[in-house]
Amino acid sequence: MWERTLKDLIRGLRANKADESKFIAKAIEEIRHEIKTEDMELKAGAVMKLIYLDMLGYDMSWASFHVVEVMSSSRIHLKSVGYLGANQSFNQDTDVLMLTTNLLKKDLMSNPADIGITLNGISNIVTPDLARDLSPELIRMMNHSHPQIRKRTVLALYRVIEKYPEVLQHAISRMKEKLEDPDPGVVAATINVLCELTRQNPEEYLTLAPALFHLMTTSTNNWMLIKIIKIFGSLSPHEPRLVRKLQPPITELISTTPAISLLYECVRTCIIGGMLQGPSGDSLARTCVSKLAAFIEDPDQNLKYIALLAMVKIVPTHPHLVAQYQDTILSSVDDQDISIRMRALDLVSAMVDQTNLQSIVQQILSHLVTDTTTTVHPTAAQSLTQHTIPISPNSIKPHVPPTQSPAYRLILAQRILRMCSQDTYDNVTNFEWYLSVLVDLAHVANVDVGDEIRGQLVDVVGRVRAARRYAVKLMHTVLNDDAILRNAHEEGSCSEVLWAAAWICGEYCNELAEPQKLITLLLRDEISHLPPDIIAVYIQAALKVFGFWAAEVAQRWSEDDLQEVKDTVELISSRVSRFVASSHIEVQERAANTVQLFSFIQADLNNHRPRHDALAGTTLDPMEEPSFPKSLFLIQPLFSSYELNPVAQTAQASVPVPEGLDLDAWFVSPSVVVETKFEKDESKTKKSKKGKGKEVNGGRKAKSGSKRREEDENSNGIVLTPMTAEIETEEEKAERERLRAERLERLRDDPYYIMDKPLPQQSSTNRYVAQEDVDAIPVVKLEGMPSFTEPEPGPSALRNELPEGPVEPYYIDKVGEMPEGAAQPILGTISSSQPPTSKTSRQQTPVPSLVPPSPFPQYEVPGEDTRPSTPDPVKVTRPRKKKVKKKSETVEAS
Amino acid sequence: MIHGVLIFNTTGVPRLTKFYTPVHQSIQTLTQKLFSLVCSRPVGLCNFLDAPELDAFLGPKNEEGDRWRVVYRSYATLYFVFVVDGAESELGVLDLIQVFVETLDRSFENVCELDLVFHFDEVHHILSEIVQGGLVLETNIDEIDESVQNMARLRKESFASAYPLSLGGGLSPRNGPLKTPLGWLTGKFTGVGTR
Repeated sequence: MWERTLKDLIRGLRANKADESKFIAKAIEEIRHEIKTEDMELKAGAVMKLIYLDMLGYDMSWASFHVVEVMSSSRIHLKSVGYLGANQSFNQDTDVLMLTTNLLKKDLMSNPADIGITLNGISNIVTPDLARDLSPELIRMMNHSHPQIRKRTVLALYRVIEKYPEVLQHAISRMKEKLEDPDPGVVAATINVLCELTRQNPEEYLTLAPALFHLMTTSTNNWMLIKIIKIFGSLSPHEPRLVRKLQPPITELISTTPAISLLYECVRTCIIGGMLQGPSGDSLARTCVSKLAAFIEDPDQNLKYIALLAMVKIVPTHPHLVAQYQDTILSSVDDQDISIRMRALDLVSAMVDQTNLQSIVQQILSHLVTDTTTTVHPTAAQSLTQHTIPISPNSIKPHVPPTQSPAYRLILAQRILRMCSQDTYDNVTNFEWYLSVLVDLAHVANVDVGDEIRGQLVDVVGRVRAARRYAVKLMHTVLNDDAILRNAHEEGSCSEVLWAAAWICGEYCNELAEPQKLITLLLRDEISHLPPDIIAVYIQAALKVFGFWAAEVAQRWSEDDLQEVKDTVELISSRVSRFVASSHIEVQERAANTVQLFSFIQADLNNHRPRHDALAGTTLDPMEEPSFPKSLFLIQPLFSSYELNPVAQTAQASVPVPEGLDLDAWFVSPSVVVETKFEKDESKTKKSKKGKGKEVNGGRKAKSGSKRREEDENSNGIVLTPMTAEIETEEEKAERERLRAERLERLRDDPYYIMDKPLPQQSSTNRYVAQEDVDAIPVVKLEGMPSFTEPEPGPSALRNELPEGPVEPYYIDKVGEMPEGAAQPILGTISSSQPPTSKTSRQQTPVPSLVPPSPFPQYEVPGEDTRPSTPDPVKVTRPRKKKVKKKSETVEAS
Repeated sequence: MIHGVLIFNTTGVPRLTKFYTPVHQSIQTLTQKLFSLVCSRPVGLCNFLDAPELDAFLGPKNEEGDRWRVVYRSYATLYFVFVVDGAESELGVLDLIQVFVETLDRSFENVCELDLVFHFDEVHHILSEIVQGGLVLETNIDEIDESVQNMARLRKESFASAYPLSLGGGLSPRNGPLKTPLGWLTGKFTGVGTR
């Protein structure tokens, strides 16, 4: 057996590059023998080789016991090998760590060199158990005579506290003493540890502030000052008085220090502590910003990076100061360095407002566009810099510009969307521009943001009426775009934009002059390659367009139209019928519905006999048989009875409780509740056999929360309806048993019956019924919406006769629709809770039933007589409800 | 806190990997990822690696201060990479890398990549005099160098006392460690030494 040293191994590796794995397999085989020998030197050599191989990715955890053996050697050159092996290969689960406790304790008593190695080792391998067992020694050693060891002990204690937090209370007073240690290295190490600790738990360390303050004003060690300032950054939010005390020295530091790293920390701490507010703070902020701006223009890229980082912190409170340097900052977005770009991007998105949004977005968008061309031609500078680095032949690869990386493109695209949609499009002044940005983005993004683009398109069109006309025109061109359709299956094609296009064109087809032409477009053969959810929307849109057009044709009926209508109906049924056998349920169902509806229309059209009197179609006397086929009016009401509007997020919760509905009343008689409760208990115990095997009592404890609450209420005496006596007669018991057996029998085969689920939903959740009953929301038209006043000469594809045009300024329906008769106080909470509303609804299509009920405005049920609202008469609401429901269903599904 | 220290060369071969916080991926994939990101950056850019891919790779952190940042420096054929969090100052870490490299240079006298290859244990020992358990132990080069020399001397003496007859030896730089007679022979016979 040849015994190789580490050097031999490395040389062997270098010589056997071609067959490395074979060589290493052989080497490990040798190591396995060597490591078992009695010879400590040989063992240590084997461990050393393993550590080297571990770095290359070969596991050495199997040797952990031998590592401990080497650690226990009394010779320092072997011991350090052992500890190195432990540092590199042990983790929290290494079982032999249990064996090391005494070894570590012994080594901590040894000579200073051994102690140093041991403390370093403890920092790396400590576990909760070791931490507990070693902490007394470590705390004692904080007063060791050797500063080197005090330093290491303080640092090791941090890891010990991390693993075993109980140590903290014993260590903290010593830690405080160490702030006044004669050795500056010990003080710096203590500051280091305190910096980590205060970040996690600032309140605990407020008492350290005086000592730290003293150090801050006396020390000149920048490294330590940075850490102290960082500590104050964590402390100041918890102690307002500290802020006032800190202001003078920090102002002093900011204006004098040449070190930007320190300046950055000062700025950060100022902002966290709110020192930049008020008149004195304003001038401080001005100083900060002007200093930072100088750094942004510095040729040193590192300073630029840090300056951008710090600027981001100032922007929220002092946007006007940063705005002065907008051009510099914007040019950083074009920096060749992606790190700087990312920071500049952060800063720019924080700076965005109504005036600069368009230019900023255009600039970012141009990154997505132009960089597709630079892939082919890297700039001269790039190719030059590439060759200045010595690169071995096998590492030369085509240089990918940073902007080509999908992750970066995704960030760019998301930034654009977020900047524009911020605060429900607060910064967007021109929605036609924004819609075209969205479409451009879909074209150039080449990353997976289609879903977000779709959400924004639909949301904008829903909220901004004045943009609908332009949106339809734009979406028409998107539907016409063969490129998107062709690439729909490629990653990053943003094919979801077709979803939005079809939906918008279908929903607002009244903006089109010749909607019937759209049907052909929507039902092209190529759409069968689209993802199924998009096909479903296409079918639905075609249906909507037909409904609108057919109704329109019927209004101005002339017999000449009959053929065109027949052709269109024929076209739709034949095209859609291909999807009847689709394997996707959504597509299949829609197609089947459509085919059935159209077979009816077809039959009606075929039966249509033209009347040849001159007045045909001009009068709509309901008593008279109309001259047009009646089925032309079949589809339209399904879609257009009510307009879709964005719905306020709190709408659901604000629906008034109808008069006569007592939410606290039992739905089922209490005896049934009791019965089901028992039954549940039993089924629970039955089910939990594998679990803790509780008795019936235990089972009762393990009830669901709702059940428990019910019980609590009972025990508190808030019994709403008296419970039947717990002690029941024989008869009742028999009856109950019988009922229960009966029901169990009934439910046994019911796949939808889940035994563990609390049955009496109504009793426990009745106070939330108002939120869950979607049908009960009376949806109404909002009055007083801005109307379209100016007629616009609009593009030819759009209809001209409607007097519509963009209203200046764009009105964004931010609040959304509220239910009729929503109680006034609740309206108040809505306006206050506006930001969250806009934030979530941004991603949603304006569909009533999609808006989740808001959890926070707890709806207080007022006394029936005080409620200001009057519910609609049943006669009126019911047809409405039906229609609305249908509408919401179709849209929700589409 | 410092979460990791890596040294790799311009072809991505690791020369030192030291993580103070357990990482989710294998250290090798992490090294490869960092290498591919770092080496694609032309010289003259800033020393902070802030790539969008990185967040996904190092694990997204919710709070700004917890985000892991990568600070690197390249020297000749080597990249020195520090992975740190918000408790460290970016520029401070940059200085620390300089301190580390200068200490290496003093210990090895004109350090080159091969020194790090054949004495990777010594590099670990030197690093342990600068950073302990992810916290900075010492930033003063003279102090660090003194401790490094001291420890190296102790190891050498310890080795010498175990092998009174060996020539020089010890684990100190530029001296072959643990040169057993057999190992020495192996080196002679196979002649694989490339230095």
